[in-house]
Amino acid sequence: MKRTSAVLFTVVVLVLAVSAVMSAAEITLMTWGGDFIPRVIIEEFEQETGIRVNYKEVTSNEDMQSLLEANPDQYDLLVTTDYMVDILRQNGMLEVLDKSKLPNYANINPLYLGKYYDPDSEYAIPYAVSISLLLVNHEEVEKLGAKPITTYSDLWQPELRNKVVVVDWSVEIMGIVLKSLGYDYNETDPEKVAQAREKLFALKPNIVRFETNTPEDSLINGEAVVGFMYSNQAVKGNAADPRLQPVFPTEGMPIFIDCWVMSKEAPNKDGAYQFLDFIMRPEIAARIADITKFTTPNKAAEPYLPDYYRNNPMLNLPDEVAANTSFYIGVDKVLEEYEHIYVEFKLR
Amino acid sequence: MRTWKRNLLAVPILLWIGLLVGIPMLLVVALSFLSRDHLGNIVYQFTLDNWRKVVDPIYLRVFWNSLLMALLTALITLLVGYPVAYITSNLSPRRRALSLGLIMLPFWISSLLRTYGWMILLGNAGVINNVLMALGLIERPLPMMYKFGTSLVGTAYMLLPFMIVAVFNSVDKLDRSLLEASYDLGASRWKTFFHITIPLTLPGIVGGFTLVFIPALGLYFVSDLLGGGNTVFLGNLIHTLATRGRNRPLAAAFSLGMVALALMVLAFYWKVTKDKTGEGLFQ
Repeated sequence: MKRTSAVLFTVVVLVLAVSAVMSAAEITLMTWGGDFIPRVIIEEFEQETGIRVNYKEVTSNEDMQSLLEANPDQYDLLVTTDYMVDILRQNGMLEVLDKSKLPNYANINPLYLGKYYDPDSEYAIPYAVSISLLLVNHEEVEKLGAKPITTYSDLWQPELRNKVVVVDWSVEIMGIVLKSLGYDYNETDPEKVAQAREKLFALKPNIVRFETNTPEDSLINGEAVVGFMYSNQAVKGNAADPRLQPVFPTEGMPIFIDCWVMSKEAPNKDGAYQFLDFIMRPEIAARIADITKFTTPNKAAEPYLPDYYRNNPMLNLPDEVAANTSFYIGVDKVLEEYEHIYVEFKLR
Repeated sequence: MRTWKRNLLAVPILLWIGLLVGIPMLLVVALSFLSRDHLGNIVYQFTLDNWRKVVDPIYLRVFWNSLLMALLTALITLLVGYPVAYITSNLSPRRRALSLGLIMLPFWISSLLRTYGWMILLGNAGVINNVLMALGLIERPLPMMYKFGTSLVGTAYMLLPFMIVAVFNSVDKLDRSLLEASYDLGASRWKTFFHITIPLTLPGIVGGFTLVFIPALGLYFVSDLLGGGNTVFLGNLIHTLATRGRNRPLAAAFSLGMVALALMVLAFYWKVTKDKTGEGLFQ
């Protein structure tokens, strides 16, 4: 009898232990593909902690939203862009992060905290910072007889006919136009919007291609001499052809912050905290920045960054550039009208 | 009793279509009459607003753009595909199998990759331009990318096999003795072709037209990559509205507009194919 109960006890303990290990043994991330969370870093985490990491790749913030809202208990962590953090937060999908479980949270640059999408820094941890800027082939611009490009307004020069590539998104293109007119992003004043619409239409002859994923290719192969694109793309373009140089338009630039957030119903919150703390280690954050070519919001990572990264103004944003950036806030108020104007613009 | 039993066999597929096509379709219809809040969440409030926007003059031009693209694609694939199908059906069985195999071969590769292949061919630093420049025929690259025509070529290429196979099936069934009879009665080759071959293969032509037209309405990634996003098709617009545009109800209304375009072509197909000889179409 005694032996039976001892055996039973052992079995119960083993079952409990195994199930505890099982639940601690796996976390599921959802974010962009293409080594956005570098595989080597994930493997190191898996080896160190024994927690298996599932990586669900998606191609849009909205895909992340639908997947998370359909199955909130299937995902632990997401990296999603600022505006989507705002939506998910307001829809009550996100967990308030327990900072006591994240000692490395102190490494994050306060400059990137407390933004509009998470005013009290409760839900989000910034992971990858990027801006939109101009990538310019100055030599070719000169050959075309255009004056040097320093501002958005310079994109309207008739010499640049069919020589400009831009990312394909109404809010962003209207943003350029509004800035060149001296207004703010996402202006709603009908008079200013009407003015921007006219100016936008005048830009059409200069645009050779609308491309969101690889606009830098058009500069590398020479079909465009100026591109309006995201900083990580400009970094790649510049690496492929050093004649392609960044220009930070004096009117100001949009900034984007992709952030880690945790599902409110995350199945393995402990594992998720371990992962978050792991990737916020200074040397890990530096290696991630080196691989992904995004600006790291991890202040403590700076000494570990490679020289090329530290000397590149697109990656290591100078303070005066960072100060001249702003978010697209209030996109919802302008979306419909901008999209309508944008369609009209493209059909011209 | 026997027909009843035979009809029973159709139940699984009817259930399948009913559940996986019918219900989502009804949801799309319902969605097109609903509202949304500023975060893009669906609000259960009836509105006709989305439909009012669909008939906005600017958006109607998007419909026209897509219609034009689909019609031209179907026309080009017909002009290119008909001779291929005709010649293939006249080959010896072995060569015919080879020819059909080669026509199907591109399907083994992702359509996205094949689109990138076109970019490598047509780009400013692409194969064609490099060859022409190396031969000294041109001094600077011919700009062939990012035009309506580029998208058209890409879409037609993508859908050509559908046309060939549809026409092939029809040509293959063609009773050759009718052609001989036509020649015996003194008709020329052209006369025979236009009065015998085409009317008899009309179901295949219209079938291929339908098979090409409908997907051509939705192949928006081709126009994004090859057309450089320089114009807007229904597919692009629906995609934008359903994602960053945060307007799924409006996207639903546009999707139904696209379904209506497809149904129009299907109606045409039914009308024509019921009339097997195709006389109605040639009068």
